[in-house]
Amino acid sequence: MNTHNDDVYDDGAQTDEALRWQLRGLRRDLEPQADLWPGIAARIAAVPRQAAATGKPRARRFAPWAMAASVLLAVGVVWQMMPAVKPQAPAGNPMIRQQAVSMALDYERAFARLQQQANTHPEMHGAFGELDRSAAQILSAIDDDPNATFLLEQLRRTYARRLQLTQRAVMT
Amino acid sequence: MLTAAMSESMTDTTTAEVAAATDAALARSAAAGDAGAFESIYRRHAGRVHGVIVRLVGAHGVRAEDLTQEAFVRAWQALPKFRFESAVSTWLHRLAVTTALMELRSRRGGPRFDEDEDALDGLGVADSAGNGTALSMDLERAVATLPPRARAVLVLHDVEGWKHEEIANELGMAVGSSKAQLHRARQLLRGRLGGEA
Repeated sequence: MNTHNDDVYDDGAQTDEALRWQLRGLRRDLEPQADLWPGIAARIAAVPRQAAATGKPRARRFAPWAMAASVLLAVGVVWQMMPAVKPQAPAGNPMIRQQAVSMALDYERAFARLQQQANTHPEMHGAFGELDRSAAQILSAIDDDPNATFLLEQLRRTYARRLQLTQRAVMT
Repeated sequence: MLTAAMSESMTDTTTAEVAAATDAALARSAAAGDAGAFESIYRRHAGRVHGVIVRLVGAHGVRAEDLTQEAFVRAWQALPKFRFESAVSTWLHRLAVTTALMELRSRRGGPRFDEDEDALDGLGVADSAGNGTALSMDLERAVATLPPRARAVLVLHDVEGWKHEEIANELGMAVGSSKAQLHRARQLLRGRLGGEA
């Protein structure tokens, strides 16, 4: 993000500053007039994707296995040590959202490290997709109802299952 | 009051973070081939992607919609290689910019992207008193009528908040050229607005 202080050609005039503020106000979302999804869906169904990852699984067999084990351990320990959310959290308390976000970020980091190896197993993609979609739905539900403590446990179970599957894909 | 403000701010922040985490989960699913998850990404981000494309090409309508479609198709193709080192929304935004700029470079007819220097010289920049084209044109329309390269620099810097280094890198120009283009684009814009801004 620029701060407007990096301009050699800073005019310095009040009108120039006003213009910049007005320009910044143009930054807004604009929905397309037509629904573009049908066209996108048709195109992505027709266009082949590049291979997700290329690797040398035999030569690097040990490294991802060890990494998967360490990542699983790290994430598991962190989330077992987290204090439980009190069932009767006050309304609007952002604790559940914060815990959900922290959990999601921890698992995202773990997946980012492992996913390239896991992608070499296309037979697992269906299961990955289903669990990822579930995680997204639970996160959305937490966003809608930040007092639903049971969703946090559901999210943890979903991520743990996803990580377990990823670990299995990496090791085989 | 302070506590309430902090709580509200924290909630806003975490809402944004939940959205980012949701995007990441959807993106991972889409990367694995889930078109349904990708449709969710499209629904969540179409407005933002289309918005920046409209601003860069200076037009609503079919052309901008074609580019928005193209940006999402490219995103689908590139997702398996996405490393989740930035937010999905940031990645999509940058991809939309690249898609629009590529189209502007390859465009035939009208002022060419790489010929803005001439286009700017030929258009005659109004003086600071606004004695140029004193039309009552709104800001959005005035930006849209700028020559493509000047418009791109102005939009990326003044609207989207990019730094000159990022703009220069994206447009393949020197940082000094980006600053010069911005200065001239603002002058031209003020002239077109009749010195009202």
